[in-house]
Amino acid sequence: MSGFSTTLEIAASGMRGQSERLRLVSQNIANADTPGYQRKTASFEAMTAIGAAEGAVRLGRVNLDQSALAVIYDPSHPLADAQGNYQGSNVDLVIEIADAREAQRSYEANLRVFDQVRQMSSSLSDLLRR
Amino acid sequence: MFQSLEIFELATARARHASERQTLVARNVANADTPGYRAQDLPSFEEAFRASSPNGPAQLDLARRIDAPGPASPNGNTVSLELEMVRGVDAQRSHSRALMVYQSAMNVLRTSLGR
Repeated sequence: MSGFSTTLEIAASGMRGQSERLRLVSQNIANADTPGYQRKTASFEAMTAIGAAEGAVRLGRVNLDQSALAVIYDPSHPLADAQGNYQGSNVDLVIEIADAREAQRSYEANLRVFDQVRQMSSSLSDLLRR
Repeated sequence: MFQSLEIFELATARARHASERQTLVARNVANADTPGYRAQDLPSFEEAFRASSPNGPAQLDLARRIDAPGPASPNGNTVSLELEMVRGVDAQRSHSRALMVYQSAMNVLRTSLGR
């Protein structure tokens, strides 16, 4: 039997994780034109800290996407090699936007659950009112 | 004090079941993007009540979990946010229904005491 505060904690951990994920996405988008930038990814994992609620999540280690960097032809670029190419980033804006949308959707779902639990606990304390 | 009256006992068990179910919904939604996570749910109240019937609803078994898979995504996660929304609303409504029963039983009790 777990109380409402545990449930609120779980929902809050989900929101925190999603907003951290959104931060990574915005870093990737901001660096979409940085030469040599590798996009950052992270996946969710169960929170294992002592005292953490069972089922709470956090964002795991940040990994760099090892896929090939885009080769861009621009002889006037300061980083261009003898053939006039330089390496851009491997950020795909379409993927980043889709990821951001998914993070937002999950964040809102967590928020909805948070609100439901809050209503449930306030209706429980309404019982004490005459 | 009110535990001995069956209607209070029943309403309490129902509310506890609903709040435990809401915790599972929160857990599933929080893990909506965790690779390999499988969605969980409680057995329905009817089922749990029938299983506990010799001991009365106060001994309701809330520790048993059932697998509640939605369509699995490529990373092995089976949480469907839409299904979880439905379950969450369901749990909230049955919680408030149980509290309403408790409240009105309390009113009957008060009236019979003449207060």
